[in-house]
Amino acid sequence: MNDITSGNRMLSRLMSASTLRERTLAENIANQNVPGYERRVVTFEDALRERIVAGRSHTDLAPKISIDKTSPVGPDGNNVSLELETSAMRENRLAYEMYATMLQSRLGLQQAAITESR
Amino acid sequence: MDVKSSLFQGLRASASGMSAERQRIDVVAKNLSNAQVTRMPDGSGPYRRQLVRFSTVMSRAVGQRQEPIGVRVDGVVPDMVTPLVRVHEPGHPDADPEGIVTYPNIQATSEMTDLITAVRAYESNANAAESFVRMAERALRIAQ
Repeated sequence: MNDITSGNRMLSRLMSASTLRERTLAENIANQNVPGYERRVVTFEDALRERIVAGRSHTDLAPKISIDKTSPVGPDGNNVSLELETSAMRENRLAYEMYATMLQSRLGLQQAAITESR
Repeated sequence: MDVKSSLFQGLRASASGMSAERQRIDVVAKNLSNAQVTRMPDGSGPYRRQLVRFSTVMSRAVGQRQEPIGVRVDGVVPDMVTPLVRVHEPGHPDADPEGIVTYPNIQATSEMTDLITAVRAYESNANAAESFVRMAERALRIAQ
């Protein structure tokens, strides 16, 4: 489990999940005026953390899109809150930036390790 | 789950939101410009306020769970609930025998509220579209 590529792979999976979440939030924003639309959320990190803490394999874990049934519903049956979507997007972009930076520095270190041996 | 398609799908969802909101702005402009029309070209009564109906576009990929992929304007329907405005104006060419002229059921306040809502929604979609571009650029910078 400690080989050099497994960390890279996990970071790229986190980036994929983040991309999917950004897309889902954009869909919520696009549907903010559709009566009866229920906002979608993407869950991945919490499930991943649970698996890691429990010491179970997580290679088969995929991000899950689910319908948010807990947010308050407006008079038209729509539960999109623009403030919530915008702040979730901002948070998600920061997480994406963090994963990308970590992946980039890991790749840089691995590159250095490879060229050092020449 | 395909990352590339997620990015571009998101961009498309935002674009569909912008397009739907722009259509709503067009309908508000049409309502406001027709606010005093007492006779339609076909000779029928006054202009009636138009409303857009939005609906979610679902994906139609075979063998996959249906997911929303955007929004579209389902149709523009006349508002038959808000009452038409009746004004006593005996000299008007469209006045009825009692001198009552029927004006469209358009109120500037509700049209302006709709307009502001649509503009804000348009802006939020534009911001979301912008963030996909930034994410794609960030991912490309990893390889530098």
